[in-house]
Amino acid sequence: MAVIIDHLYKAYEEKNGEMQYVLNNLSLTMEKGEFICVLGKSGCGKSTLLNCLAGYLKPDKGTITVDGTSISGPGPERGVVFQQHALFPWRTVLKNVQFGLEMKGVKTSRETAMKYIDMVGLNGYENKFPSGLSGGMAQRVGIARALANDPEVLLMDEPLGALDALTRDSMRREIERIWKLTEKTILFITHSVPEAVFLADRVIILNKGKIQMDQKINLPRSRNINDPKFTAYVQQFESAITGVSSDSVITE
Amino acid sequence: MKRKNKVVSYQTAALMRAKQDKYFKIIALIGFLLLWELFGRVNLHTLWIEPKFLPMPSEIIMAVVTYIQAGTFWGHVGISLYRVFVGFVIGVILAIIMGGAIASFRLADNMISPILNLFGPIPIMAFLPMFVLWFGIGESSKIILVTYATIIYMVSYVSSGIKNTDPVLIRSASSLGASPLQIFFKVKFQSALPHIFEGMKGALGAAFGAMVVAEMMGASTGLGYIIVFSKNWFKMSDMFMAAIVIGLLYSVIFAILSLIESKLFRWKTSGVNSAVES
Repeated sequence: MAVIIDHLYKAYEEKNGEMQYVLNNLSLTMEKGEFICVLGKSGCGKSTLLNCLAGYLKPDKGTITVDGTSISGPGPERGVVFQQHALFPWRTVLKNVQFGLEMKGVKTSRETAMKYIDMVGLNGYENKFPSGLSGGMAQRVGIARALANDPEVLLMDEPLGALDALTRDSMRREIERIWKLTEKTILFITHSVPEAVFLADRVIILNKGKIQMDQKINLPRSRNINDPKFTAYVQQFESAITGVSSDSVITE
Repeated sequence: MKRKNKVVSYQTAALMRAKQDKYFKIIALIGFLLLWELFGRVNLHTLWIEPKFLPMPSEIIMAVVTYIQAGTFWGHVGISLYRVFVGFVIGVILAIIMGGAIASFRLADNMISPILNLFGPIPIMAFLPMFVLWFGIGESSKIILVTYATIIYMVSYVSSGIKNTDPVLIRSASSLGASPLQIFFKVKFQSALPHIFEGMKGALGAAFGAMVVAEMMGASTGLGYIIVFSKNWFKMSDMFMAAIVIGLLYSVIFAILSLIESKLFRWKTSGVNSAVES
């Protein structure tokens, strides 16, 4: 098992002496190579969960183990892809992708970096600076940079949130392709229910810091969004999140 | 209606505009000098101003020639350049170390910042007599004054530049396996570099000011010394010469800094001039 989250608690503030838990006794196990999407309303704790996994936040109680070792702080075995690409603006695409390997002192970092730049389809852009890239391209570089470090788990914090609809659609397919190719364990946070159904092996819905729903998606890949089974999943999740029947909710 | 129909790319247009700008600037400079010369020549007859007090550009050039012929020109220029350069470089290094410490350690911030805030507002000229008493009338007191002026000006640029590093960049670096030391040098320092350069360019002015003041008050060589010396002997053209050479030296070093800056920060998006195409 790749990741075990065991009885995790995290609170930012207290009210009338009561701790306001953002993560409330949350336990979750991720299998190796599993693609998990986390859904939920704003403030449900999904970003907090990712930040705890990445090591940016320290949980108040509970443990997270990755491949048998419990984590304490950020580390290269957990790659992170951010919503706002977070590329180093003073480094070229190649230098950005090389960053992790450079920190480790790997001599062959250039070849490895080129391999991943190739994988995300950015051949020919390696000497461009991030300011010269479109949002989708920058996000691809972010993914390549995280992958070049060969992490156990890839944590993706709404990586497609800042992209336009068409780019978003092609990036979804791209992420699925890269996941199949690299067989990484992925935790993917999103606001979009259809995106989660399209990508995930398992969808987790968080509500007030607890797991409200943990559902496997039994559909063959690549999934067709017009498939009635696909829409059924989407409706099931939407009504679970909003608490009302899905007819009244407009999704993007 | 007649107009140019040739299509010019944005890049070529920008290059052409830059060339045009350069011509205008050169014309403005030459025009100013010619006007000055003309005024001086007319003034010789009309005597609006005592001609002794307002030398013409041609007389200033003659002053340079005289100094060069006497063999002292390059010595004065060299010693001034030496003082300002050594003082400035030491100041920049110390300012980066101090600013880095202030931005990285709360203890350093609490220890250094109040002292800097205490001395910062005091004009550097006020320190010169003390520096001369402490460090003698030799080179060290002058260089130390330049260093001091550079540090006082630059430290806040360095520390605020480092403190303003985008936290998401620090997060991403740490998730890529960077150690705290690597994060400092490869992320925080890099992201602060544009601010540091901005501070350096400003500090250069402060350093030149300190150099001139130091030379005016306790030296027997240097451009600042020429200003005071020629004032005492009413040699106005020598005075102007020294002042103009100081300005030229400053401009040359400033231009070199700007050149390094533009090479270093090619990754930055262009500034206000690219806001609206014209």
